[in-house]
Amino acid sequence: MHFTPFRVSLAPGIMGTLGLGFLVASSPALAAGELHLYNWGDYINPEVLERFSDEYDVDVSLDTYGSNEEMLAKLQAGATGYDLVFPSVHMQDIMYQLDLLEPTYINQSEHFANIDPDFLRAKTDSEGEYCLPYAWGTVGILYNKNRVDEMTSWEDFFNAARDGKQVAILDDMREALGVALIVNGDSVNATDREALERAGNYLIERKPLISAFTYDSVPMVQSGDLAAAHYFVGGMMYVNEDPENLGYVIPEEGATLYQENICMLKTAPNKENAKQFMEFFLRPEIAALNTRQQMNGTPNVEARELLPDALKNSPEINPPSEVMDRLQIFEDLGRSLQLYDRTWTKVRTAE
Amino acid sequence: MNTTDTASSLEASRKPRLFRVPRNVHWGLLGLLGPVTAFLGIFFLMPLVIMAIFSLLEPGLYGGVVWSFYADNFGRILGWANGPIEEFDIVYLRILMRSFRIALITVALTLLVCYPVAFWVSRLPPRRRNFCLFLITLPFFASLIVRLYAWVLILRPSGFLNQLLSTLGAIREPIELIYTETAVLIGLVYIMVPFMFLPLYASIEKLDRQLIDASYDLGAGRIATFRRVILPLTMPGIMGGAILVFIPTLGNFIVPSLLGGAKVLMIGNLVEQQFLYARNWPFGAALAMLIMSVVLALLMLYVRTTLKRRSPRGTAAKPRTKDRAEGLT
Repeated sequence: MHFTPFRVSLAPGIMGTLGLGFLVASSPALAAGELHLYNWGDYINPEVLERFSDEYDVDVSLDTYGSNEEMLAKLQAGATGYDLVFPSVHMQDIMYQLDLLEPTYINQSEHFANIDPDFLRAKTDSEGEYCLPYAWGTVGILYNKNRVDEMTSWEDFFNAARDGKQVAILDDMREALGVALIVNGDSVNATDREALERAGNYLIERKPLISAFTYDSVPMVQSGDLAAAHYFVGGMMYVNEDPENLGYVIPEEGATLYQENICMLKTAPNKENAKQFMEFFLRPEIAALNTRQQMNGTPNVEARELLPDALKNSPEINPPSEVMDRLQIFEDLGRSLQLYDRTWTKVRTAE
Repeated sequence: MNTTDTASSLEASRKPRLFRVPRNVHWGLLGLLGPVTAFLGIFFLMPLVIMAIFSLLEPGLYGGVVWSFYADNFGRILGWANGPIEEFDIVYLRILMRSFRIALITVALTLLVCYPVAFWVSRLPPRRRNFCLFLITLPFFASLIVRLYAWVLILRPSGFLNQLLSTLGAIREPIELIYTETAVLIGLVYIMVPFMFLPLYASIEKLDRQLIDASYDLGAGRIATFRRVILPLTMPGIMGGAILVFIPTLGNFIVPSLLGGAKVLMIGNLVEQQFLYARNWPFGAALAMLIMSVVLALLMLYVRTTLKRRSPRGTAAKPRTKDRAEGLT
């Protein structure tokens, strides 16, 4: 639920199978231990891993996945050898139910006070005994300033499309239906048929206006082939490189918020190193090092103080509280997920 | 040794059919076929059996299955599901029909592209012919995903194709190609061309040129020669290519996603969605089983009709045409 530049979300597993996992430490023979991370693609600053590896003399390996579901499917199929995973909050709840997680009591650690308690969002872990809040961001609109005027809302987005401009929505069932639910004033976790029917109709009516459902919209927005695209705050990385042409906005109607946490697996072979890494990541300078490269939000209050002003004061990355109030986070829907699946299939087949 | 062999085989031929094959040959065959049978049994048949069983089970809450019989997976597609959780929806059959249509168009287009080229290549001198065959296999050296991204760059409004056309003055406004069904078809044809070309080439290369000359000599025109001589003789290659193109196209989900902007949904996309995002393995399995049974039924129909057509004529007709051709030269 965040940005990776060459992610082929459509062919999950490709990143992993093509072997994008890499070894950080160069001298495995000398290292005192190992640590195996399983994370989203491009979702951690490699420098953080190098620093950890150097300081504790631990070999760090990193494998990547393209979606929560891909990670879960792999673990359910019996993949072992990973120590730490980075699930979204609702996936953490599922993994807890499936008894895949190990309690770490990270909340007893010295620097845990640095974590903003608002970010202990997992229903199954409200005290932080299992996982450490890692990073968060919003899902809004990335647009090309040469193609459209400044955008502030989903209304602007679809009005641009009515003017013949090309726009794209994420190829993600819950994010796409989330846009419709938010604009209709429903919860992004609604489970009643009426709300889902409204959301489905909202998207079906606008389907002729939508050029594509895709994750690979950044190069198309940069080149102006798309005027605007539904995208993650990670797109700010490109906005900062090219502020003349690009813009990112959290729509007025509201937006979804994503958050991933660092969790230890029950099957982790290197539990001590894993706990050590979580404590290492509690340090403000380490969390800040990661955020500076990732351009997303950090739940570490002390780390925020260490960020450059452009990041710290960015309303897109660290929104003011009235904007925060308009953000919603996905929850696990249990069986009701089937309702979303059926609605999404209808949207995708509508002519 | 020879005499004992013939003696034993003569003796064997009088025995019932089962014992006609000498024992040592039987063991040799077993030794040769054993490993591949075991391999396919484990890695092909077993997963298939698992899928068949899963398609009749209840979906687990977080993926996986609950071990109790559940008819609604097929019911959702075919019509008898009518519960609070599962209900019949015509949309799945519609996606299946759309996938069939796209796969058939892809077969027709690849055939149209490959047939003349295969003819041309088969007439080249051997060295150049081999070079051309090498060129056909060249795309396999690069990753499919990378090649499809290249197509995104070609087809997008500011892309290569539109720039070329506007420089040539053929268009004033960029044409919308990317994220359309046309783009999906271009991508599928591009991927599938080698699979059509190779079997087609194999049968066209074997084609006896003298038969074509004979057809002309006997007064058939170009069209009649093509229709009555060339086409029937290259039919095995056409059907082989068609099958090799049709089946992977039907299940393809990368092209509709990358070039179709996920707006042209095919059955492969639906199966992917069920296994990952909808966490409904049994429904995904049911969809996969349905595609497979339809494809198998079509294949069996083809085999049966061709066998029926060939058996009376095939054996008798072949030597006769050959005689004639030889007599004429």
